Amino acid sequence: MDKLSREEILHVADLARIELTEEEIEKYRVHIKKLLDDIEKIKDVKGYDDEQLIAPWSENCILREDRVGNMLEPKEVIEHAPRHSGNYIQVPVVIGESEGA
Amino acid sequence: MSNYIPTIGVEVHVELKTKTKIFSPSTNGYGEMANSLTNEIDLGYPGTLPRLNEEVINLGIKAATILNCKIRKVMHFDRKNYFYPDISKNYQITQNRTPIGYDGYVEIEIDGEKKKVEIEEIHIEEDTCKSAHRGEKTLLDFNRAGVPLIEIVTKPCMTSSKEAKLYLEKLRELLTYGDISDCKIEEGSMRAEPNVSLRKNESDPFGTKVEIKNIGSISNVVAGIEKEIERQTKLYDKGEKIVPQTRRYDDKIGDTVLMRVKETGNDYRYFPEPDIPFVVLTDEQIEEVQKTIPMLPDERRKKYLELGVSETNTKKLIQNRNLSDFFNTIIDEKTNHQIASNLLLGDISAYLNKNEKTIDETTLNKERILELIKLMEGNKLSSKNLKEILDSILETNSKIEEIIKEKGIQNITDDNKIIEIVKKIINENEESVTDYKNGHDRAIKYLMGQVMKETKGTINPKIAMEILKEELDK
Repeated sequence: MDKLSREEILHVADLARIELTEEEIEKYRVHIKKLLDDIEKIKDVKGYDDEQLIAPWSENCILREDRVGNMLEPKEVIEHAPRHSGNYIQVPVVIGESEGA
Repeated sequence: MSNYIPTIGVEVHVELKTKTKIFSPSTNGYGEMANSLTNEIDLGYPGTLPRLNEEVINLGIKAATILNCKIRKVMHFDRKNYFYPDISKNYQITQNRTPIGYDGYVEIEIDGEKKKVEIEEIHIEEDTCKSAHRGEKTLLDFNRAGVPLIEIVTKPCMTSSKEAKLYLEKLRELLTYGDISDCKIEEGSMRAEPNVSLRKNESDPFGTKVEIKNIGSISNVVAGIEKEIERQTKLYDKGEKIVPQTRRYDDKIGDTVLMRVKETGNDYRYFPEPDIPFVVLTDEQIEEVQKTIPMLPDERRKKYLELGVSETNTKKLIQNRNLSDFFNTIIDEKTNHQIASNLLLGDISAYLNKNEKTIDETTLNKERILELIKLMEGNKLSSKNLKEILDSILETNSKIEEIIKEKGIQNITDDNKIIEIVKKIINENEESVTDYKNGHDRAIKYLMGQVMKETKGTINPKIAMEILKEELDK
């Protein structure tokens, strides 16, 4: 049966920082392959170009004026977090540095 | 000295000087109480949508123009996917495929020669939240989440830490003068990440690149690059391979430390951001923004020198944006610009520093400084007397001539009056006159001191000295 390799599934799981059981690995090898195959079908649609796939509407972006609007109170921010410490949102310690910007 | 040729590129993130964040109307601010400058968009709540801030695009156009880049007129945003608590959506909105600016350069001068540091691209993106690690917990502050950034990426075109330093200094000067960012490295509004590789010969392909992150100052960029060149040289000399990785510079130990072996670009699974349509710029819009670019440092430097301002004063004026802007209000006026620069950098700067004020917080304006220069040039006000009335000049709106009158300062500008005083001093100090005639240089200084004392500093010392010499040599 057509499915992804074990390594591919483990790599994706690693990027998502999740652990998978042996059973789940086997399940996703099939599921994710099927998902990818379905997505591939987009390529068969005729009369579309890349740009339309990025934004399929004709309106361009309308920019927002640089004016300060509504913000949340720190209290509201932290009450929706599972854990907090003072005004900070608290998460389990993460080793390593910021990946993004 | 290394036997290898270093190749250095630098990625710089700067926070843009907008009022609000890139995709939300929260305040873009620094130093406020944790999580007090956020809303649902910055926190990445489900169901929220980003709305792009017009000013971010304007500052992007400005930056691209100042850094001599081509400007992309049709662009979109992309999602960079990664799983880390500093970005609660699990993706950062950035420009991967269509950066706003590309193919630019910054000109630096190294050892008397001009060099163009090539800019690969400038792209717009959102900043992440700030995380602090405290023992067993990591604390998150979303005030920084969604602050607009531009990332400026050079080509691997530098060959020494000195070039990288000059580039960063020039970049900072350009971006602060362009009102694009305040570029405060210590507050994180400018963050530089150099990458370093080595190769044996110019004809060899580039070596494996190592990135250095978390550098808190330009001098540490220099130190970080130096240390990395040293480390890679040792590895190559031992015949070992360089592993692509990200290191950070630890200024406590003065060395680079491994952070992580780098994920490859594909792992970020970039794809176009579906929540933001294409951003289309018109020529008119670009021109409108370009009109707002203030006079840049290189142009100021050229202009000041043309106006007869000394090189030292020119340099000092440009280092102080406020003073330079003030000086610019009189550059088209017929006046003595060297006196103007002396005044601004001398007594006026001393007053501003002492009173912790900026020049805009004083009553000095174009008309008043021109009047002041005229009075000083015409010897109606000596620099000694200026010190006495400076506070009034800078704190009131009275005409300077009136202030002079009020304070009872009257400069002796009548040559006959000066001759009269000089003669009196000569008659009263026969001994010093004899000393002068016998070639003792110090005697004339003493006599001059007496003249100044007699006149309480109300004469132009240059003119007084000339008259004193004439009278002594008669």
